[in-house]
Amino acid sequence: MSEDTIRFTLNGRDVSVPATTRGHLGDLLRHEFGETGTHIGCEHGVCGACNVVMDGVVVRSCLTLAVQVDGAEIETIEHLGSDHDVAALQNAFVARNAFQCGYCTPGMIMTARELLAGNTAPRREEIRDAISGNLCRCTGYQAIVEAISDAAETLREMADE
Amino acid sequence: MEMQDSQIIAAPRDAVFEAILTPEMLKACISGAQDVTGSPDEGFEAVVVQKVGPVKAKFRGAVTVVDVVPGRSLRLIGEGKGGAAGFAKGTATITLADHPDGCELVYVVEAKIGGKIAQLGSRIIDGFAKKMANQFFESFKGEMEGVELS
Amino acid sequence: MLLKPCARWPMNKLVSKAVGAPMPRESARLLVEGRGSYVDDIALPGMLHIAFVRAPFAHGRILCIETADALQMPGVVAAIDGKELAEICAPFDTNPPGVPGHASAPQPPLAIEESCFQGETVVAVVAESRAAAEDAAELVFVDWEELPAACSIAEAQSDSAAAVHSSFDNNLSLHHRFGAEDVSDAFENAAHVVEESFAFGRQTGVTLEPRGIIAHWDPRAEELEVWQSHQVPWQMREVYAAQLGLSPQSIRVVAPDVGGAFGLKLHAYADELAAVAVSKRLGRPIKYIVDRLESFTSDAHAREAKATCRMAVDSEGHILGIDAVVDSGFGAYAMHPRGSFGEAMQAAQMIGAPYKVGAFRAEVRGWRQNKAPSGAYRGVGQPIACAITEDMIDLAARAVGIDPAEMRRINYRSTLDEGTRATQSGLVIEELSLDACLAKLMEAMDYKTLRAGQAALRENGIYRGIGFASFVELTGVGAGLYGPLGLPLAANESCRLTLQPDGSLTCATSVTDQGQGTLSALGQLIAGEFDIAPNMVRMISGDTGRTPYGGGAWASRGMALGGEAARRACVRMRDGLFEVAAGVLQCEPSALAFDNGEIIGLKGPSGLTLAEMGALCHYRPYDIPTGQVPPMTIEESFLPLNLPYITSNGVHAVHLEVDSELGTVELLDYWVVDDCGTVVNPLLVDEQLRGGIVQGIGAALYEECVYSEDGQFTNGTLADYVVPMAGEMPAIHVDHITTPTRASGLGAKGVGEAGTVGAPGAVRTAINDALSPLAARVAKQPFTTRRILEAVMAAENLE
Repeated sequence: MSEDTIRFTLNGRDVSVPATTRGHLGDLLRHEFGETGTHIGCEHGVCGACNVVMDGVVVRSCLTLAVQVDGAEIETIEHLGSDHDVAALQNAFVARNAFQCGYCTPGMIMTARELLAGNTAPRREEIRDAISGNLCRCTGYQAIVEAISDAAETLREMADE
Repeated sequence: MEMQDSQIIAAPRDAVFEAILTPEMLKACISGAQDVTGSPDEGFEAVVVQKVGPVKAKFRGAVTVVDVVPGRSLRLIGEGKGGAAGFAKGTATITLADHPDGCELVYVVEAKIGGKIAQLGSRIIDGFAKKMANQFFESFKGEMEGVELS
Repeated sequence: MLLKPCARWPMNKLVSKAVGAPMPRESARLLVEGRGSYVDDIALPGMLHIAFVRAPFAHGRILCIETADALQMPGVVAAIDGKELAEICAPFDTNPPGVPGHASAPQPPLAIEESCFQGETVVAVVAESRAAAEDAAELVFVDWEELPAACSIAEAQSDSAAAVHSSFDNNLSLHHRFGAEDVSDAFENAAHVVEESFAFGRQTGVTLEPRGIIAHWDPRAEELEVWQSHQVPWQMREVYAAQLGLSPQSIRVVAPDVGGAFGLKLHAYADELAAVAVSKRLGRPIKYIVDRLESFTSDAHAREAKATCRMAVDSEGHILGIDAVVDSGFGAYAMHPRGSFGEAMQAAQMIGAPYKVGAFRAEVRGWRQNKAPSGAYRGVGQPIACAITEDMIDLAARAVGIDPAEMRRINYRSTLDEGTRATQSGLVIEELSLDACLAKLMEAMDYKTLRAGQAALRENGIYRGIGFASFVELTGVGAGLYGPLGLPLAANESCRLTLQPDGSLTCATSVTDQGQGTLSALGQLIAGEFDIAPNMVRMISGDTGRTPYGGGAWASRGMALGGEAARRACVRMRDGLFEVAAGVLQCEPSALAFDNGEIIGLKGPSGLTLAEMGALCHYRPYDIPTGQVPPMTIEESFLPLNLPYITSNGVHAVHLEVDSELGTVELLDYWVVDDCGTVVNPLLVDEQLRGGIVQGIGAALYEECVYSEDGQFTNGTLADYVVPMAGEMPAIHVDHITTPTRASGLGAKGVGEAGTVGAPGAVRTAINDALSPLAARVAKQPFTTRRILEAVMAAENLE
């Protein structure tokens, strides 16, 4: 492969694209790979709608240059349904009606998954703090907080079984 | 926004005054200047490319020189039209005084910015304008003193 | 390991009592899985992209436009200016014939010669990619002459003001009066008269998904297809037809998944019209997604207003009169096609709406300004009216010396017994339940304990406040608003219900859903009428090619109007099926009912399931004893003809703490008791209320479009324009009083705006309650830390 190619793992698949210096990861995922579950909201690193997982850590794909992902492992919402934590979160979001327009939800779930990975029983305030970098303009956040709390409980029960 | 600062330049006052009004010097000192033409009497024209936060701006600038007191002071009035990015306009009042180490240059800059770049908020804009002005006068000092600036 | 399925309401569970069930939106699960389809997720073959050059000045004259350099750039297809586009596209002319004295300049899709606000579109650069278009747009040179501008309301109304647009010599766009000409008697005989001045900062809706559009003019078929992030596709079909001189029948407008709308996506925008016109010009699909910097300067703004209000009360606290003046900031052009007057009119007319106010007079003026046009944003004027009213009530209660909750209670309109009636300001108000809402609210918040706690903490220099906001909200607004104004806007909502041969149902509705969950609730309602699982009902919405004609989403109408249309369609469908079944079963149709999707006769289950009925009617009509096949598709349309709108009501309360040294506000608790009539799905309704309240809290505490004196938008990013995040928001306790509207059989009223209408007033009164021991008051919204500190310091200086 030439130096002008970005190679990385996208949702478990090895992929490569010609390197461009100007694009960010969000546009790359959406427009080159058609992974449109990652949404662009503020283009400024504020709203969290574009959150994806890069090498196990949640990053803003609007602040991550496409070239930075060379050699990295990227996970997006589309393929995380098989992940127990994400599935539990998705179920809880539906059950609690913790979303309206759904534009913020994939990014919100990325943040919540990271929270639950480090804290299996977060308190309400801890959840609110954790998602304070994710803008939801539709809900009053309360249902989201409850959903994340529910998902944590489900996952704890599963771990006990 | 308004800002004020000064530089001590190790060069004679008259030489400093003369130098500040040449296109070559303006081009060397204006960060991002691609092309500067003109004269103090007719005014200068410049093309400046700059990046303000996430916005890349290419300005077509016109600078006129007024209130000239030879060897002592002058005022530069500049207006840059930036196409899609917006506009910038401002004045710089420059006063020179003798100093034991050469000459003291005091500048007062007033800047106004409009269009897309103005949206970024004073957080970014004020810092940018300050950086531009400081860079200009630091580069000028460097040029006058023959120091290579990194 | 298997995960438990979504527990609370599995979709295979039958809904015998659908109305009132808190069913989750299983059909919207795809959004949670990232499988939504928003406009930017759609790509058409051969699609081009637009980047706009926008005006940098608040007011300017275009001297020349040079596009040669831009056209040299790789991938660039065209650079089109206003003159070129004017050849095929008319400017918006937004002067409703029915609003006397209304005056707005025509707004072309791209400015021609004159531009009137920073951010107005000037040149459309079209390229193979958005990046190429943006690079080229940087090379377009526009030579401007900066013109004098009028930006603030005060500036716009001064005698020496510059004209916002050269076609006018002043800036007054609207002048209207509600109520009596003279109310001086009420004030002369009052025990107390209180007076206050108000200011409301300019806001914008900040949808997380910015506006966006794909337009595809097919020159061979001479058909236009548009995908747009929008609330009202039918309206947009008429707009594009009118502006481009096309037959509406040659246009299809689709609103796919929409990432938040809030009224912002109710309007027709110059940039989006330009994208459509460019597609027509070039015969290629065009995508235009508004970026965040653009959305701040070009999305509809709202709320900017100044007001003064006087209230007269007797010695017991009964309101004797209200006299108010509201000045509203319209921006450079009236928003197309509904105008910008709605906010101003409702801000004035709705003052005092929940109360018996005695004499009433409100004057309203709308001012053109060299700022972005203002338009509808969730609540439209009602949050302003509510905040003014509630602050005045608190001032009056303090003057009289009675408790603010009691002051409200003794003044509430109680039309429950009196029936529908018109108010002095011309509102037509249906049954209200404000006293019941207040009683429930005070119990929920344990009002007496809160007051006692507040008094105790004040001894220690801790300033907590309790604020109330009662509201009356106009929902499900009918044809009586826009019809008489001469605007071509449908106010009815429709449902086209089809029984498929396999027994499933299809509901094509004119109602659109931007996350409210209306489609799920409609499906739930329909499923309940046949006692089937909701996943047996397929919902179709947001597509003029596939849905019946109607309004869409505005003025909280989804369930109130669309729900009633669906219910009526179900009744007719059922009647037709019962007619057939009665023939088969040899009984009266009135003896039949649906249970578990099957018709139940006198002898119990008949075997006539919906699937059997579908097959019978579609495939074996000869087996129908009467020989009459009932219509398999029923269309119903509803709007309340005897009422101009359906009034819902409720009461908010907030408990907060103000740090008098830092100027910060901590929200401790929030309660609302709302009466939106029949609640079809409390899960959806409660989160609508909470989301609306959080937007109202944003208005009260954070959100403001800050323009410089010379009309530059100075905080146009999401880092600088502050919106509420989870960490600052309180727990919000929601409860209901249920007074079904008499306007429909379903009884649902609107609820989408109730939160936003009340929250700013509740927060305002609570902050002023907290500051009352310091004799400080805030009047200018948002109540930022700086403004609160200024108020505290001003009060200290007075001492």
